[in-house]
Amino acid sequence: MPEPLRLFQPTSIEEAVAVLAELGDDAKVVAGATALTLLYRQRLIAPGALVSIGRIPGLKTIEVVDGELRLGALVSHREVELSPVVRESIPVVADAFGKVANVRVRNAATVGGVMAESDYASDPPAVFVALDAVVDVQGSNGKRSIPASAFFVAFYETALEHDEIVIGVRVPVPPAGTGAVYHKFVTRSSEDRPCVGVAGVVRLHADGTVADLRVAVGAAAETPQRFWDTEALAIGKPLDADLIAQVADAYADQVDTLDDMRGSAWYRTEMVRVWVRRAIESAAAAAAPAR
Amino acid sequence: MTAEDTVAGVTARAVDGDGRISITLQVNGREQRIQVRPHHTLLEVLRNELGLTGPREGCGVGMCGACTVLVDGRPVSGCLLPAALAEGHELTTIEGLEGPNGELHPIQQAFVDHTGFQCSYCTPGFILTSKALLAEQPDASRDEARAYLAGNLCRCGSYVKILDSVMDAKERLKG
Ligand SMILES: Cc1cc2nc3c(=O)[nH]c(=O)nc-3n(C[C@H](O)[C@H](O)[C@H](O)COP(=O)(O)OP(=O)(O)OC[C@H]3O[C@@H](n4cnc5c(N)ncnc54)[C@H](O)[C@@H]3O)c2cc1C
Ligand code: FES
Ligand code: FES
Repeated sequence: MPEPLRLFQPTSIEEAVAVLAELGDDAKVVAGATALTLLYRQRLIAPGALVSIGRIPGLKTIEVVDGELRLGALVSHREVELSPVVRESIPVVADAFGKVANVRVRNAATVGGVMAESDYASDPPAVFVALDAVVDVQGSNGKRSIPASAFFVAFYETALEHDEIVIGVRVPVPPAGTGAVYHKFVTRSSEDRPCVGVAGVVRLHADGTVADLRVAVGAAAETPQRFWDTEALAIGKPLDADLIAQVADAYADQVDTLDDMRGSAWYRTEMVRVWVRRAIESAAAAAAPAR
Repeated sequence: MTAEDTVAGVTARAVDGDGRISITLQVNGREQRIQVRPHHTLLEVLRNELGLTGPREGCGVGMCGACTVLVDGRPVSGCLLPAALAEGHELTTIEGLEGPNGELHPIQQAFVDHTGFQCSYCTPGFILTSKALLAEQPDASRDEARAYLAGNLCRCGSYVKILDSVMDAKERLKG
């Protein structure tokens, strides 16, 4: 008989990290278990130990402090979706989490889980990347903070060391008047994972020129895609159809789209073009011109 | 293997000779003590250890809702949750809905009266999810119900009658 699977249920971050440091790759963190259970049962992973972080207090906070929305790692997707704090401070975050899967998955899946899983076809990552969110992690060497755009490294791969856990995500609250949207485009059923997901953030000067424009494309490539040079081209220009088309074309050119059962690479490229345009249009419509 | 397995000061849940740990679940208001392996899902344990066959396996991957269990009143997929992680929570299966004298819950009765099923494989999941919906949104519209229930699949395609049942159940619960 293979060694029995061991279950650790530490009650502090320090304990969890110490177990991970000692057991190395043989141990797997488990939070909401929605992804981990599938990986285990499909024999894609075979850890000797599970480290459940569900008993660690202090990881379920949702608050706005110092102009940042702070989400603890154990906050569920459904809690983000329904939270009045999230809906008032950065409604697009609630909206994106509310578009994930079905209500059962949203009740179980956690903020830390979706980050650490780094599934290319998840919804929240693109929104976090567009909003310049920061991922707080803790390991044997203490705490560090990683920009969301640097956190997702490749397919199912993050910047986390094996003894580090995600403890939360911080999202700067955009200035008043900013419009932010997330468009989830699905090709199979309403509760499917995205074929392409686009987060758009727009702020305009009183004269209609662009003060801020940010676009992140999810589910189209290995990690959320954001092109800062393209965004910078729009700053200070009037946000008209030509400019929007230029940005959309530049994203379609630059995203190295992938093929899967939700769409071919060619189709995805065209959908990036369409949904980047629509995301900018609807973010602009949601933005109030500055006075 | 030693009885005490401690790593970095944290003790693993003690296992028996068969790799099982002893857990206590709160199911339909009753405390149940059982032996499970840490990877056993709540769905397997409810069905195989506790004889509760209301939760069913459809897809086994979180997409169909046949395995729905209410955890502290919230629907989750029993097929995705290790039973050991359900400790300390209040669990409800379809078996926990009937009244003390065996009378059906108003949502169950509405499904019967509207024939909100054909083969009924999906029915426990739909009823439990509807219960959570109507607790959260007692005035849910038909569209809101449709969105909330979108992750529950019915192979027989009874969706229209299911929604009829849920809309009627809403009125019955208001009394
Ligand atoms: C049927 C189905 C449909 C889905 N559809 C979508 C969708 O449309 N859009 C979408 O965005 N998502 C979707 N998901 C959800 C998503 O991809 C993951 O399943 C979920 O976000 C994982 O969260 P969890 O808390 O359950 O993580 P777990 O399963 O507990 O863990 C996932 C991974 O992260 C690690 N981990 C977890 N927490 C931490 C932490 N705090 N620190 C370090 N490592 C950690 C684990 O070791 C594991 O490797 C879907 C899932 C299912 C099952
Ligand atoms: S069997 Fe669990 S969701 Fe289908
Ligand atoms: S009634 Fe047969 S699956 Fe729904």
